[in-house]
Amino acid sequence: MKRAARAAWWVLPAVFCLALYRFGLKAWFQQDDFAWLGLSLHVHNWRDLASALFEPKAQGTIRPLSERAFFLGFYSLFGLNALPFRIAAFATQIANLVLAGSIAHRLTGSRGAGFLAPVLWTANGALALAMSWTSAYNQILCAFFLLLSFRLLIEHIETGRRSYWTWQWITFLAGFGALEINVVYPALAAAYALCRARPYFRKTLWLFVPSVAFAAAHWHYAPKPTAGRYAMHFDASMLSTLWRYWEMALGPSRMTLARIEPPVWLAAAATALLTLLLLGFAVQRIRRGELLGAFLPAWFVLVIAPVLPLRDHVSDYYLTSPLAGLAMLGAWALIRAWKLSWYWRATAVVGVAVYLASSLPVARAITRWNFERSREVRNLVLGLARVRELHRGKVVLLTGVSADLFWAGIHDKPYRLLGMTDVHLAPGAEKNIEASGETGAPGEFVLPEAFALRALEERRAVVYSAAGPRLRNVTNAYLTVARVRWSKTEEPRRVDVGDPLYAGQLGPGWHRLEGRHRWMGKRATVRLGGPRSPAEKLHLAGFCPVSHLVGGPIRLTVAVDGRRLGTFTVTKRNEEFAFAVPIPPEIAGAPVVEVALEVDRTVRPAGDVRELGLVFGVVAIR
Amino acid sequence: MRRLIGIPALVVALLLSAPGCKRKQQKVEVIETEEAAQDLASMIHVADPRASLQLVKGFHDVEQNAWRWTMQKFSVTLRPPAGAAEKGATLRLKLAVPDAVIGRLKTLTLAASVGETPLEGVTLVKAGEQIYSREVPASALKADAVTVDFALDKCLPPGDVDRRELGVVVTSVGFEAK
Repeated sequence: MKRAARAAWWVLPAVFCLALYRFGLKAWFQQDDFAWLGLSLHVHNWRDLASALFEPKAQGTIRPLSERAFFLGFYSLFGLNALPFRIAAFATQIANLVLAGSIAHRLTGSRGAGFLAPVLWTANGALALAMSWTSAYNQILCAFFLLLSFRLLIEHIETGRRSYWTWQWITFLAGFGALEINVVYPALAAAYALCRARPYFRKTLWLFVPSVAFAAAHWHYAPKPTAGRYAMHFDASMLSTLWRYWEMALGPSRMTLARIEPPVWLAAAATALLTLLLLGFAVQRIRRGELLGAFLPAWFVLVIAPVLPLRDHVSDYYLTSPLAGLAMLGAWALIRAWKLSWYWRATAVVGVAVYLASSLPVARAITRWNFERSREVRNLVLGLARVRELHRGKVVLLTGVSADLFWAGIHDKPYRLLGMTDVHLAPGAEKNIEASGETGAPGEFVLPEAFALRALEERRAVVYSAAGPRLRNVTNAYLTVARVRWSKTEEPRRVDVGDPLYAGQLGPGWHRLEGRHRWMGKRATVRLGGPRSPAEKLHLAGFCPVSHLVGGPIRLTVAVDGRRLGTFTVTKRNEEFAFAVPIPPEIAGAPVVEVALEVDRTVRPAGDVRELGLVFGVVAIR
Repeated sequence: MRRLIGIPALVVALLLSAPGCKRKQQKVEVIETEEAAQDLASMIHVADPRASLQLVKGFHDVEQNAWRWTMQKFSVTLRPPAGAAEKGATLRLKLAVPDAVIGRLKTLTLAASVGETPLEGVTLVKAGEQIYSREVPASALKADAVTVDFALDKCLPPGDVDRRELGVVVTSVGFEAK
């Protein structure tokens, strides 16, 4: 191979990746990114760092490398400059392409297949989310560890050198820091050994030991949602979920994402054609004794298998690693077809054309959409940074917030990273934002009308509209609107005890504010707007440090307007507790109620004269 | 293979920097805001970003930079035009009834009120653009700002085609001086 051709073999897939996903390189942060960036706010010492790195977070995930270390480290170095994060994601994916090409070359013996595999993988629209959203970096890094481990295994099998086997162990174990689906690597290794290197099969079984241990630990320690999107269903629905992923992997069924709407029959026919070509080729190879034809489809099934129980959370970025196997199969099929008659060449060209025509527009559309969404979030967050400079210390109310902007740019409180805490939705701004059952309600971000109006009248608040490309100060116009619309006297139905704005709602029994929380003594009261209907409940959210539970659980007795609603036991150590308490129906409609909280015992820490009950938190009726 | 050592080394280096660097506030780029004072408008185009704060409730996001779907009930806050406190004004709502809506619902009745003052409603029986126009008495327009509430008797509930509650399509709403 000439030098130029060799260089092109390595470089062109990376160039293609950069060209197709270039908007992903320019994307800013959004959504979960801010939760991960916000980890740094809780890191004050080495113990905090260990907790930030290894404590289970959303859905019980522990991904110290791809999420915790990645965001903590890059944020500490680059702050809110998203480009280094994106460069890291692209650099990792380019390494993945090199590995995929190298593996395809080794497996098929064809340099052509080694070139085409990363190209076909890159073209798949299912990669777009991972290539344009920093929180999906875990998928890219997981693919890196899977591919690198597998590449080292091949090297070990081909050369017999022990160092490759050792490095394979190291990269395999490191992969657990990227994503849970790393547990499937031993299955990949064993399947490969069965198909191509039987003498190594027994050796690969040792790899199952850490996978089984990880799966058992994860199963034991991580919370297992029984309802909602993340509930796991180990039943026949896994097959239909597998089919959905297969359809998504091939592409035609997703063309509507690029606003291309072919007739349903056409998309189904295209999916059937690609299925027939890929699986037909695989079967033909198996019949000729080339078990690689079984291994590559198995790669897809094995790597997607861990997410098949998530029937209600089918997401395209889960396909990032499984697609590598299909891309290698497709590349191999193309190269084989090219060596046959014109008929098979024409068939291969049709297959590739259908695949590229359905996948490339989707890849572009999703990347562009994510980019534009992230830029809107950037305008909001960096606009808030300017608001902080102009109106330091004032409450900021936001209006004109679309549902998409709220969930992408406000819900995870990016303004905390700017040192801002008093950023709220203006009363009524939440009405056009649909609540999301599992991630919270926009109402929690709204400042109560009476508070907002008082703050505006006293010039302690400013109002900005997020409806345009830049934040716009609409304080004066809004004050006119507020005087017409907002009640001056209505009591808030949600009191954030840790927010100084709500200090006037607190009765006796509370200690001084500490950061964003407040300790109660043995008994404390809160004044709230009463329930609007008998169906509403009293919601309590607080925190109990581990030191308080040394003497056993703490019992919290709750009363509303002197009526005892019940006693609740706080057992969670160093975790938030939350209770939803039914309210007697006769209290519905009361304009104001007094909530009394009382603990059965308090703790007086050494050197502190205070009697400490529990930390709050939020008291709300909804 | 020795190069692989660089990866864990980089991770360790990044982590070591985390607790040390977090205490100082990151220098953050800012984006300028628009600070020019804005008054309430008497007539608003619902797609105009400046009008959004006057859309009280019941409007979906802007579509095609021109209009918004409403829900069954929708409201706006408007500034009465000059002299309206003495002479009254005309309320004008420019709307369109899509074929899909009239095809499913056959007829729609639109009612409106300015503050506590109800206005005569209208029954919409045809698809297409229409203008709902009503005289508003001066007594309803004494304040610096008034809220106008609209209500349809029916709407398309959230369904398979669209997950939103859909009423009519509105392009502008406001008062005209007499």
